[in-house]
Amino acid sequence: MLEIKNLQVSINNKQIIKGLNLTIKPGELHAVMGPNGSGKSTLANVLSGKNGYEISGELNFNGKSLKKIPTEKRAQRGIFLAFQYPLEIPGVNTNNFLKTSLNSIRKAKGEKEIDSLSFLKLVKEKTSELGIDEKILSRQLNVGFSGGEKKKNEILQMKILDPNLSILDETDSGLDIDALRIIAKGVNSSRNKKKSFLVITHYQRLLDYIKPDFVHVLSDGKIVKTGCSELAEEVEKTGYKKLN
Amino acid sequence: MHDFEINFEKINNKKITLKEKEFRNKNLKLFNSLGFPNKRLENWKFTDLKEIIYRNFDQLDVKVAVPNINKINLLKDFDHNYIFLVNGNLHTSNFNHEEKSKIKINSYDNDFNYPTSTNSLICLNHAFAENGYSLEIEKNYKFKKALIIYNFFTKEVKNKILNIKNKIKINENSEIHFVEYTINESKFINNVYEHIVLEKNSKLKSLYIQSNKNEGYFYKFLQNKLHYNSDYLGLIFSSGLKFNKMDIECDLIEKNCKCNILSALFLDKNEHQEIKTRINHLAPNCKSFQNVKKVLCSKSKGVYQGKIYVKDNAQKTDAYQQSKALLLSENAEFDSKPELEIYADDVKCSHGSTSGSVDEDSLYYLMTRGLNRDDAIKLLVKGFLEDVVEFVKSSSIKKFVNSKLEDRINEH
Repeated sequence: MLEIKNLQVSINNKQIIKGLNLTIKPGELHAVMGPNGSGKSTLANVLSGKNGYEISGELNFNGKSLKKIPTEKRAQRGIFLAFQYPLEIPGVNTNNFLKTSLNSIRKAKGEKEIDSLSFLKLVKEKTSELGIDEKILSRQLNVGFSGGEKKKNEILQMKILDPNLSILDETDSGLDIDALRIIAKGVNSSRNKKKSFLVITHYQRLLDYIKPDFVHVLSDGKIVKTGCSELAEEVEKTGYKKLN
Repeated sequence: MHDFEINFEKINNKKITLKEKEFRNKNLKLFNSLGFPNKRLENWKFTDLKEIIYRNFDQLDVKVAVPNINKINLLKDFDHNYIFLVNGNLHTSNFNHEEKSKIKINSYDNDFNYPTSTNSLICLNHAFAENGYSLEIEKNYKFKKALIIYNFFTKEVKNKILNIKNKIKINENSEIHFVEYTINESKFINNVYEHIVLEKNSKLKSLYIQSNKNEGYFYKFLQNKLHYNSDYLGLIFSSGLKFNKMDIECDLIEKNCKCNILSALFLDKNEHQEIKTRINHLAPNCKSFQNVKKVLCSKSKGVYQGKIYVKDNAQKTDAYQQSKALLLSENAEFDSKPELEIYADDVKCSHGSTSGSVDEDSLYYLMTRGLNRDDAIKLLVKGFLEDVVEFVKSSSIKKFVNSKLEDRINEH
């Protein structure tokens, strides 16, 4: 599904990612851990197509290079990024936004636009599955949402848009244990043979609830160690420094 | 056009009383000596109307024929009463949803007791105004449905300058909600002087909107007088006009008045829209709130000049004004001049003004959800104007306003 070879990324002439290799197959869940400033968020941004980065190396999604594909096309092809800091968009109703978003993805896939009734049904189903209060959807997008509500809203968007590759950028940070469980539940119930996940986190805590197939440790723009879920426990005990 | 001076014959030919003749001649003389306003005047600091008019008109005539209109097209979006104006002249009215005895509607009955003005457009209006309407609501009457004032201009007004006077009086404990809806297909100048009186405990909600993009150059001087505990709301929406200046003066002359002026505009091409306000807090315990939002594309220009004046006895005044502009083009211009003039010591007054382009991070966020850049910008633009649209409480009218705004945004 995702194939990254010798990825080098700079911003304002400062190199952040220095030759990163990563392959994610359909159905796999990869966790990327790493200290502050190791390039985790940059990796998420580059995958979603954010402007402003100088990129070299290979970046393939479903066999095709992503490099010249703009952000919205990547989303339409099934890449989803759950933001570390979801933005507040004043005046934009969350429900309307979600419907517009879902329909632009459906349209790009050549599918029919969803009507209001089916959309409402879908939203009801996903909110109750996640145990999210439906009321937040009638509010302005993320405006005045608590930290937890914002993150839950990201996972709800993921559930509704139903992407093939979901990238979770520190979705667990700043969450209480109940919210963390909701997030984990959202991910776990979406896992199947076709869906892949890239879960970026600081801590092992989230990985107690979401079982990764692989754990990578990112340090100074490179993957320095790859292992299975035990690696996360090791990191938790010894810290990142020992691994370098 | 290089010079604009009106011949006195235009007035003296008419069979009118001596008083009227003197009033009109005096004002014409004033206009001819002042000319159209330009940037040298503080009230026109950002707008050279003289230059705009000379650039866009080769000739201007003050005589306007009022053609016969047999069929009128009404909006079907919501139930309403209506006044239908043709070139400013009262054509028909219909108050089928209301108790007719409570409403007086007439062609404007000119009076000639206005004080001398230094505003040349008012002088011009005084000199030539003939058309217009006068609306009065009796005491203790609340309108059941909204009133639409259809402001229809025919092709006969091309290259004319219309001078129109309107008067609205809401008596004690009465309430009305009107929508002034302009339908225009001509290139002309519309110079309006409107006088609104809100008596004790009365309430007025007014909404201004245009049906389509058009070549109209509109100036409206709006003089509002608010009496005890009255409540005025003015909502100014986009706006297909080539040029529009709303010059609003509100006198809060008795205690406990409320005055809200809000605007949501989407301007494109070389449209020029200006809102100038002067809120005079002349009595204690009044509130005024202004929120002007403009989205500016291509070479459009938006201006907001807002002044809050608080007289020494107007203690406990609560006054706020803000203007925000969202610039979608490097060639668009936004000028804002907030002013506070306060002579009382126990008041709460503040202002704020911001302008900027679309937030790239917000755009990126929306685009990661599959929206293309244009759709994401449209969503942000609509969101930006939303807090003003929110003031339209009726859901059917809100839907109507939103669809008009969307038309403008989608045309861009």
